[in-house]
Amino acid sequence: MTREATSLEIKHRQRALKALAELGMKIVEDIKNGQPPKLKIPSRSTSNIIYDKKNRYFVLGPHYGVRSAGSMKQIKKIAQLLCTADFARELIESGKFATLREMYYTAEGWEVGPFHDQSESDAIIEDLEATFGLKRESLGLTPEEDGAAVYGQIVFREGDVTIDATKAGRGGYTIPPTIDDVEFVKCKAKRIIAVETMGMYHRLIQEEAWKKFDALIVGLKGQAARATRRFLKRANEELGLPVYLNCDGDPFGYHIGMVIISGSANLAYINHELAVPDAKYIGVTASDIVNYKLPTDKLRELDIARLKQLLKDPRYNTEFWQYEIKKMLEIGRKAEQQAFAKYGLAYVVNEYLPAKLKEVEGQQFLGKV
Amino acid sequence: MKSLADEIFAEFREHSVSEFFRRNAAMLGYTGKIRSLTTIVHEAVTNAIDAAEEAGILPKVNVIIKRVNDEPEHFKVIIEDNASGIPEQYIPDVFGKMLAGTKLHRAMQQRGQQGIGISGCVMFGQITSGKPTTVITSTGNGEVIRADVMIDVDRNQGKILNKEKFKEKWRGTRVEIEAKEVAYMRSRYGPFNYLRMTAIANPHVKITFVEPDGTLTVFENAVNKVPERPRPMPLHPWGIMSDDLLVLAKRTKARTVSGLLSTELSRVSKQKAEEVCRLAGVSPEKKPSELTWEEAEKIVSAFKQVKLLAPPTSGLRPIGAADLENGMRQILNPDFVYTVTRPPKVYRGGLPFIVEVGIAYGGNAGKAPEGKGDNETMEGEVGMDLIRFANRAPLIFDQGGCAITAAARSIDWRRYGVDITNAPLTLFVNISSAYVPYTSAGKQSIADEPEIINETRTAIMEAARELKKFLYRRLKAKERQERAGIFEKFLPVVARKAARLAGVEEPDIKPLLKKIAGVEHD
Repeated sequence: MTREATSLEIKHRQRALKALAELGMKIVEDIKNGQPPKLKIPSRSTSNIIYDKKNRYFVLGPHYGVRSAGSMKQIKKIAQLLCTADFARELIESGKFATLREMYYTAEGWEVGPFHDQSESDAIIEDLEATFGLKRESLGLTPEEDGAAVYGQIVFREGDVTIDATKAGRGGYTIPPTIDDVEFVKCKAKRIIAVETMGMYHRLIQEEAWKKFDALIVGLKGQAARATRRFLKRANEELGLPVYLNCDGDPFGYHIGMVIISGSANLAYINHELAVPDAKYIGVTASDIVNYKLPTDKLRELDIARLKQLLKDPRYNTEFWQYEIKKMLEIGRKAEQQAFAKYGLAYVVNEYLPAKLKEVEGQQFLGKV
Repeated sequence: MKSLADEIFAEFREHSVSEFFRRNAAMLGYTGKIRSLTTIVHEAVTNAIDAAEEAGILPKVNVIIKRVNDEPEHFKVIIEDNASGIPEQYIPDVFGKMLAGTKLHRAMQQRGQQGIGISGCVMFGQITSGKPTTVITSTGNGEVIRADVMIDVDRNQGKILNKEKFKEKWRGTRVEIEAKEVAYMRSRYGPFNYLRMTAIANPHVKITFVEPDGTLTVFENAVNKVPERPRPMPLHPWGIMSDDLLVLAKRTKARTVSGLLSTELSRVSKQKAEEVCRLAGVSPEKKPSELTWEEAEKIVSAFKQVKLLAPPTSGLRPIGAADLENGMRQILNPDFVYTVTRPPKVYRGGLPFIVEVGIAYGGNAGKAPEGKGDNETMEGEVGMDLIRFANRAPLIFDQGGCAITAAARSIDWRRYGVDITNAPLTLFVNISSAYVPYTSAGKQSIADEPEIINETRTAIMEAARELKKFLYRRLKAKERQERAGIFEKFLPVVARKAARLAGVEEPDIKPLLKKIAGVEHD
């Protein structure tokens, strides 16, 4: 059964179909003129990934790779790319989605297929994304995994279904891979608190943090999925909600936060759709470990090496990050979010978060000074 | 009382040549069961072809190998030719006397040389099976002679056991040799490969072969002309040594040294002889019998300073590049053949030789790869097949010690784009000479004379260069084809998909396809 398309969906589809038609038209014209069709595809090699200081995320540089249908070595790739594009067109026109894996298997039946492995078909999808500046989700292609969950006072509409995230069960609303086609109907929340672990997510729901802080609680499940990042980006831009990130106090927690803020290098071609440069990291920091006297673990060699890498990373080139990274190296300890349980299960909601939010918003919560 | 020495010398006797070879059959090629059978075929076929050629007859040779009494190592070999037949009085000597024949005393190129071949077969048959060899022959006068021949080993004489004559209009010779301790196999060393090689090197010869299991194979002749008869040749100064000159000086009828040089050596005129004498500081009027070793040395080195015509080739019978190519095409059915007949050269004793090389690539060339049914001679080996010949006769055994093998191995085949461990390549080398320097009486390997190795190497390289060009052209053609194939496969997809994306009609790809792939479409 085909569900009714939302206006958002229709907008996305039209944009994608237009881009695909333009690509097709250019090639048809080339063939008519007796010219081997050429495709300019932005280079995704590391040498062409640069940090955009103004926007505060990674972007692709000015370099292009040119693929010519007049080259014996490249025409197959071009044919595969066009088959993929046409497959995307069919998906969009029929309002369906396919996972990357399904797309890989579909190619088995193509006269230009099959691919040797999924990384080959994934690379072609990335070529399309980079060429059009469109996300794969707009091309009807989705990653395997769902996004994480969100809980709080927000109402979504997926086609003809309306969902209140406080009435979607104790786990909240699961962010689907197709989050871009989901409409935000209503939102009472004033901020987003995203946490690294699902343990902390459920703690905040149980302690009614969503109500206490007028917040949407988002569980990231570790490194955030594309759908989660798209949700945070859209909520930030469309609803004007500030995004706060609470992760483990170790280099990997830092980086989970940073990828949401500034995007990752290997998705540089699409970071403008994913990065939330104004999101704020609200701990756990090395200073928190000291100030709250949290139970800690000793840094492993891997942690130390990673911290030293982060020191040189342009995304961490701020006073705050340089200070916290050096401090963690100095104390040689790390701590998890859930270490606050040392002071009781409710401590994180009643004491820690109010203090942190005051730091970033200057506003008092829960009557605390 | 007899002394010890008397007792010992009571046993002393002069051994006849036949007795010597009876005890040294290996020297004649009778080692191993397969080789012994091949040697019998070789000796008889060689004689048959030589005989027909000398009579100016296009040779047709029938070879039949039969199992006797179903015993595994007991065979009868029958070789029949269409040559001029053997007059009755010569039968005992031809088949029963070693070192007798029409060849040894003439400096002329024929396949057989020493005159021990066919009588060796008779002896081998006789000592393994105890049976005589049956000879059926007729000169075409309406009378056929059938005789059973054995060798009297002590006297080195042929013995006729039974003889009968009957009337029939037929010409030729049929020899039936029965032997034990031999084995039949279609291996590299077996009679099949021997005959196949013979057919390649002798494109004017038709060979019909019936194997013990009844399989009939006909190697048709590719050429209908009998090669010209060879003529005896005098020595040429280029390769002569002092010793040779002194031998000639003793034998000559000439009265002066200058006369000696101009009459006994080839390509030496009266003027050249005098010029050489002057250069050597030897009086041209000197009596040959008074020539000293030192003077002979001076004359030999003086010859190197004068210009001479190349040695006469009248006694040499190369196959000829064109006929060789026909032979290789006929038998190997290859994709590529290049043959070269080099100009005559001399080695050691002033004896001319000619090197011929042929390279065949593809088809049935090369050692037969596994599963290649129509060329099952080599039992699943692959790669370059070096086939060696001396005066067109295949050299099958003793490959390792042969000058031809040394020359072939000295080539860096990779330079010619050939992987000899896998390539379907047959390398043919034939050395033609009145006196081929065999390493042994088995005549299976050529001594490593530097001139022969160098000349062979030069000829192989010439042919290999042509092969390289062929392989390059073929590679280019293949690439062009592959290139066209790729565009033909993918361009329609590109056009169709692009048209569907754009929602327009599919564009005509023919002009572009022609431009990028060079493909014409109707």
